[in-house]
Amino acid sequence: MSGAVPRDRSCAAALLGLPGMTPVRLARLLDGMGPRVAWAAVRAGAHPADPSRRFTAAARQVDPDEVVTRYAAAGVDVLLPGWTGYPAALVGDPGAPAVLCASGDPTVLEARPAVAVVGTRSATPYGAKVAADLGRRLAAAEVVVVSGLARGIDAAAHSGALAAGPGAAPPVAVVGTGLDVPYPRENRALWARVAAAGAVLSEAALGTEARPMVFPARNRIIAALADVVVVVESHRAGGSLYTAEAAARRSIPVCAVPGSVYSAASAGTNELLVDGCVPVRDADDVLAAVALARQGRGMVGPASSPAARGRADPGDPGPVDRLERAVWEAVDDTPTTVETVLLRTDLSLAALTAAGEELVERGLLTAGAGWWSRA
Amino acid sequence: MIASIPSAVLLGVDGRPVSVEVHVSNGLPGLTMVGLPDAAVRESRDRVRAALVSSGFLWPRRRITVNLAPSGMRKAGAGLDLPVAIGVLVASDILAPGAVSGLAFVGELGLDGSVRDVPGTLVLADALRHLRVVVAEAGLDEARLAGGDCVSAPTLAELVARCTGRRPWSDPTPSVPSIAVADGGRPPPDEGDLADVLGQPVARRALEAAAAGGHHLLLVGPPGAGKTLLATRLAGLLPDLDLPMARQVTRIHSAAGALPSGAGLVIRPPFRAPHHGVSAVALIGGGSAAMRPGEIGLAHGGALFLDELGEFPVAVLDALRQPLEEGIVRVSRSRGSISYPARFLLVAAMNPCPCGEAGVPGSCRCSPASRARYARRLSGPLLDRFDLAVRVERPAASALVARCPGEGTGPVAVRVRSARQRAAARGVAVNAHLPARVLDEAAPLDDGARVLLERHLVTGRLSARGLHRVRRLARTLADLDDDGDVLSDLHVAEALFLRGGRGLLLGEDVR
Ligand SMILES: [Zn+2]
Repeated sequence: MSGAVPRDRSCAAALLGLPGMTPVRLARLLDGMGPRVAWAAVRAGAHPADPSRRFTAAARQVDPDEVVTRYAAAGVDVLLPGWTGYPAALVGDPGAPAVLCASGDPTVLEARPAVAVVGTRSATPYGAKVAADLGRRLAAAEVVVVSGLARGIDAAAHSGALAAGPGAAPPVAVVGTGLDVPYPRENRALWARVAAAGAVLSEAALGTEARPMVFPARNRIIAALADVVVVVESHRAGGSLYTAEAAARRSIPVCAVPGSVYSAASAGTNELLVDGCVPVRDADDVLAAVALARQGRGMVGPASSPAARGRADPGDPGPVDRLERAVWEAVDDTPTTVETVLLRTDLSLAALTAAGEELVERGLLTAGAGWWSRA
Repeated sequence: MIASIPSAVLLGVDGRPVSVEVHVSNGLPGLTMVGLPDAAVRESRDRVRAALVSSGFLWPRRRITVNLAPSGMRKAGAGLDLPVAIGVLVASDILAPGAVSGLAFVGELGLDGSVRDVPGTLVLADALRHLRVVVAEAGLDEARLAGGDCVSAPTLAELVARCTGRRPWSDPTPSVPSIAVADGGRPPPDEGDLADVLGQPVARRALEAAAAGGHHLLLVGPPGAGKTLLATRLAGLLPDLDLPMARQVTRIHSAAGALPSGAGLVIRPPFRAPHHGVSAVALIGGGSAAMRPGEIGLAHGGALFLDELGEFPVAVLDALRQPLEEGIVRVSRSRGSISYPARFLLVAAMNPCPCGEAGVPGSCRCSPASRARYARRLSGPLLDRFDLAVRVERPAASALVARCPGEGTGPVAVRVRSARQRAAARGVAVNAHLPARVLDEAAPLDDGARVLLERHLVTGRLSARGLHRVRRLARTLADLDDDGDVLSDLHVAEALFLRGGRGLLLGEDVR
C-alpha cells in the first residue's frame, strides 16, 4: 500500500462508484488531479471536467469512508497508477484504467513475464485442451497466465495454470463485471481459485453487472498486461480478435494456434496466421515469443517499462491530453472512418467526437464527411 | 311513404353522419339515387335489389327515390347498402318504422343477402355514437372500440327478424376494449431484433437516438451494408402507444381499411415502408371520394421508412415536406379538402452516389457531375429535416465491427423509453419537438459546448436553424447516457458528427 494515502483510496473508490460513471469519465476526472482533490471538486460542483455537475448531487450523498469499508469487507483493493499492486505495464498506456479494483495479490505480475491466453467462449475440445496445456506449461515456466475468466478458452487456460502445481506462477484474470459479481455463474468456483492463488482485476465498481460493452473494454486491459497475446481458437469476427487488435495497436506480439481449416472455431485464428501473426503449437513456441518480445524491448529483467512501449512517431502531436492522444494514434495517415477509430479506441462516440473536434481545431487532424486523417 | 335511416360515410379519417331518405311512390318502377353518390354507392342499387330478393322479400314494383343528405357532400363506399335496403323495406311497409327507430346502419350487402364489413367501421360507428349501430359481424369488435352501443347481424333476413323482435340480438356482451400495458419485455418478434445487426456502432447509436428523440434519420451507405436491416429494427425500439394516441392511430388505420379484423386497438407504433414506386396520392392520401389516408397517415404515431430515397420521384419527396413541418397532412382535391394527423419518424436509406461506393476519398468511381446530379435529387429543405445522417459501412469494410457483440432490442428499448420519459417531463413527446424558445432552459450549454458551437457557426458549417436541431439532438444523446442537465462539449460534438449532412452525399466538407 505504499504511495497510497488512505483518504486517496476511499475517494477513488467513491468516484468509481458514482452512478453514471464510465472509465472515460473517471479518467477525465482524475486527469492531472489526485483523488482527494477530484472528489472535493466534484462534491463542490467545481470540477473543470464536470462542468455540468452531473456527479455533484450523487457525490454529496456518499461517504468515501463507508465506500472503502465495503471494498475492504469484500476483500477488494482499490488501486491507482503508481501505487503498489497497480500493474506497471498499464502505467502510461493510452487506455489504462484510472482506477483498478483487485482481489487477491496483483503484485504477482511483478518480476514475471505475462502471457494472455484468450479465445472463443464456444471452444472445441481441441481448443480447450490446447488452452489447458498452454496454461499449465506456461505457469510451470513461471509465466503469469492472463485471461478473462469467460467460458471456453479463458476458463480452460485458467484451470490449466492452476493445475501447474507448487512453484508455478499464479494466474491473473481481468473481468468486465464488479469483483463481487462472478460472471458467468458457472465459473464462480474458478474465479475464487484464481483470486486465492493470483489476482482478479476489474475496472468496474462493486455491483456492476455484465453488459455487452464491458467485455471489449476489458479486453484492452488483458492485452496491455501481456508480453505476448495467444489466441487459441476464435471464430471469424470473434471477440478475442478484439484483444488481438488491442495488442497489435500496442506493438505487443500476437500469436495464434493453428486449427483445422474446416473448423469454424479456428476461422478467426487461421485468419490471424494468414495476416502474419506468429503460429504457436505449444508452450515452447510461446516462451520463445516471450523471450523475443522482452529482448526486443531491451527488457530481460523485471517488469516492462511503460515508456519503452510508447511509439516514437515522426508526426508526434506533442503534449495533448491523454484521451486526445489515444484518438490521434488511432487515426491513420490516410482517411480513416470515424467508426474505425471508434472501434480502435474503445471510447464512447461522444468522447471520441469531442476529442476529434479538438484535434481538428489544433490542426492535427483533417476531417471529412465521416472520416479523419492525420494532417 | 318516406323512410329516413341514419348511417355514415368516410371522409379522410372522420365519419360523417348521413341520412338515407327513401321515398316509394307510384310511377315507373326503378330506383334513382341523388345526393352526390360515388360509383360504389350508385352500384348499391343492384346489390340491394339482389340481396332483398334472395332474402325472400318482395322488391316493390314502384318508383323508389333515394336521397343522401346532406346533399353537398360526396358520399363514398359500399357501407350505405344496408341503410338503403332497410329504407326500402320501411318505405314499402314491409318493416314498421318503430322497429328501426334509434338504430343506425353501416354495412355492405352481398348478392346472397349477407351483411359485410366495410373499411372504417370504427370511425363510422364513432360518428353515430348517439345511436345503436348495426354493423356486420366481422366489424363488431372494431365498431365497439368507438365505445358506443353496437350490434350485428349475419344476413339481411336475420337482421329484419332481430329488428322486429322475432329473434334476439345474440351478440356477445360488449367487452371494454383493453390496452395492453407495456411490460418492459421484448417487442413482438415480427419487429426483428437489434441483435441481428453486427457491429455498426455509429449507425446503432444514431438509430437509438432517432427512436428516443424522434429525430429523422438518414442512413447513407453502399449496397449490402445493412441499411434496410438497421432501419427495420427501429420498429422494436419504439415504445407502445399511449391510450389517446392508440385511439387516434386505430381510427386512421380503420379509415384506411388497414385494420385487420379482430385486431383491437393498435398499440404498437406503426412501421410503414412504401416502395419507391409509390404514387404521391398513395403516399399523401386523398384517393377516392372517401379521401383515404395514405402511407404517411398510416405512419402517424410510428415510423415511415423510405428505402432507396434517391429513387423516389421528386414530386413525391416534395409532398413530404409540409407534413414533416406541421405534423398534419392537408389534401385538397376537386371534391374537397381534408386534413389528418401525420406525425411520424422519418427514416430513409440511400446510396451515397450512383456507383454506391463513395465514402472515404478515392473509393467512388462516379464523375463529380453525376454525383452532384444525384445529390440534387434531394432538395435542401428535405435534407435539412434529417437531424441524423450517418454512413453505414459494409461490415467487411471495417473488419473489426462484428467483434463486439451487439446489444439486443430489449436493453436499448429500455433506454429509449426512459429518454422519452425525460422528454415528457419537459412537456413534449420527444426532444425533436422542443420549441426553440425553451432550449435555453431544457438544453443549457456549458462553456465547452458553447465554444464548439460558435466555432461551427462562425465557419458557416452550422446555420442558426441547424443550431436548434443540434441542441435538441445533443439533449437526446445526453438523456440516453443518463448525463446531467447541462450539455457538455461531448454530446454537442457527437450531435454535430451524427448530423452528417450534405457532405455525406457530395464528399465535400473537408476541413
Ligand atoms: Zn460513386
